[in-house]
Amino acid sequence: MDGSLMNKIMNKDLITILFTPLLFLLIIYPIVALLTNLEVPGVRETLMDGLFWDSVKNTLLAALVAASLCVILSIGFGYCHLFMRNSLLYKAANLMNDLPIALPHTVAGLALLLAFGRTNFGFAGPTGLAFTMIAVVLAMFFVSYPLAARAVASGVDQMDLESIAVARTLGDTPTKAFLRIALPALREALFSGFVLSFARSLSEFAAVIMFGGNVPGSTQVLASYVFTKVEEGEVAMAVTASGFCIFLSLILVVLVGQGRRRRA
Amino acid sequence: MLKIANLSKSFGTHKVIKNVSLTVGSEIRVVLGLNGCGKSTMLKIVAGILASDNGKILIDKRDVTALPPEDRHVGYVPQQASLFKHLSVRENIRYCLRNGRGAEADIDQLVEMLKIENVLDKKPEALSGGFQSRVSLARTLASQPHVMLMDEPLSDLDLAIKEKLIPEFRKVLKKLGIPVLYVTHDLSEAQLLGDRFSCMIEGVLSDADSAEKAFGLIRESISDYDLHGPAQHQLRN
Ligand SMILES: Nc1ncnc2c1ncn2[C@@H]1O[C@H](COP(=O)(O)OP(=O)(O)OP(=O)(O)O)[C@@H](O)[C@H]1O
Ligand SMILES: [Mg+2]
Repeated sequence: MDGSLMNKIMNKDLITILFTPLLFLLIIYPIVALLTNLEVPGVRETLMDGLFWDSVKNTLLAALVAASLCVILSIGFGYCHLFMRNSLLYKAANLMNDLPIALPHTVAGLALLLAFGRTNFGFAGPTGLAFTMIAVVLAMFFVSYPLAARAVASGVDQMDLESIAVARTLGDTPTKAFLRIALPALREALFSGFVLSFARSLSEFAAVIMFGGNVPGSTQVLASYVFTKVEEGEVAMAVTASGFCIFLSLILVVLVGQGRRRRA
Repeated sequence: MLKIANLSKSFGTHKVIKNVSLTVGSEIRVVLGLNGCGKSTMLKIVAGILASDNGKILIDKRDVTALPPEDRHVGYVPQQASLFKHLSVRENIRYCLRNGRGAEADIDQLVEMLKIENVLDKKPEALSGGFQSRVSLARTLASQPHVMLMDEPLSDLDLAIKEKLIPEFRKVLKKLGIPVLYVTHDLSEAQLLGDRFSCMIEGVLSDADSAEKAFGLIRESISDYDLHGPAQHQLRN
């Protein structure tokens, strides 16, 4: 390469030149490849498939419950993060937020299966809690909770700690100060914790399949529906369901963006 | 009466408060000190927000050293007003009532004395800095504290506003007749506000006869070490 060409490239923002093709090849192209495979008969067949709509309903319902659980538990974590930094409980809780990052979600699913399956939870049914909607929710919750907890912790870090101190001197116990002062200040963090864990729950596959199973019409979610259709060779239906997933994520992204704009 | 005896505090190996003792009667005691000398740390220990390593704190002869902030009945006014953002000014000031502290009639009087009648329905973010300080003081005084702890509550304000507020604050504080421990790095603030004075130099507290004397001691301490450090700038203000 001669010097002047090199100069030209350097002048024209080298980073953009490298970034653009990679973005298109590795991220946008696969999505486009999926969407261009959408075809009318496949779409029609899928939309008429009751099991597809069951999986949509299961996904949304379980993700909603899981994300709500995530928010409730992360409020407890926020309290520990604010008032109990030096306690063993907090340190353990904090470790559990980071540990799952490197954990295959099949491992999470297996752990749940052994904990709440037939052996220990046989009283709850022939398979324990496994292969029920409760299992789907618990699997989603398990993998999503760290996101909510981290969102709340970073909210606490941005909070005005002096106002908590003032509330304490005005007679608030830690619990009262948390409920009256910290929680209102954490509204945005809780919202973003909810959205993040809801999104994570929507997309969960491995843990759900290990613990919740993939029973069509019963515990099948969108992720496992796509998997099943590919296995059955019904690629057109898998593509339609996948397109639907992209549509769902897009709605979520737009909602979050609007929420952010309203708050700004 | 507030009595602090042999208070010490370290963060890791950094000794921040060094064997501080102090008695404050029904007066305004101003502690002058440079940035980072330990003023806020001392106040937070007295308020119960931080735990000390050593020492005792007595309020009206009651040993409060082991008590949490809510059981000490101290008033704490931080540097930034730190008002409760989601509550109106009125709700901020009446906050203590939720915990069975203070009295409605007193609060009305406070509101009048601090001239905040007209902003009661506003949210804190809609207030100017001066009014935020007034509300912050009112919120704390409303709880009828036995001791007031004030951490440079005026240091973020413009000089002109400060000059107007100091005499008003002094009048209100004197009327209550409780011990007030007021820390600042500002000499003129100390002169206008204080009855008695101390200076804090790198965590060591000593009495001084006047604000000027306290300031002089700080000035002497500074010439010993880094004259070009950030502390120098502070002294010139
Ligand atoms: N939580 C903490 N952990 C570690 N070090 C701290 C902590 N809080 C304060 N310090 C250190 O203790 C010293 C005294 O801090 P402090 O806030 O009491 O100073 P100050 O006199 O109030 O200063 P300023 O005028 O800036 O408010 C500083 O060196 C500070 O860095
Ligand atoms: Mg300070």
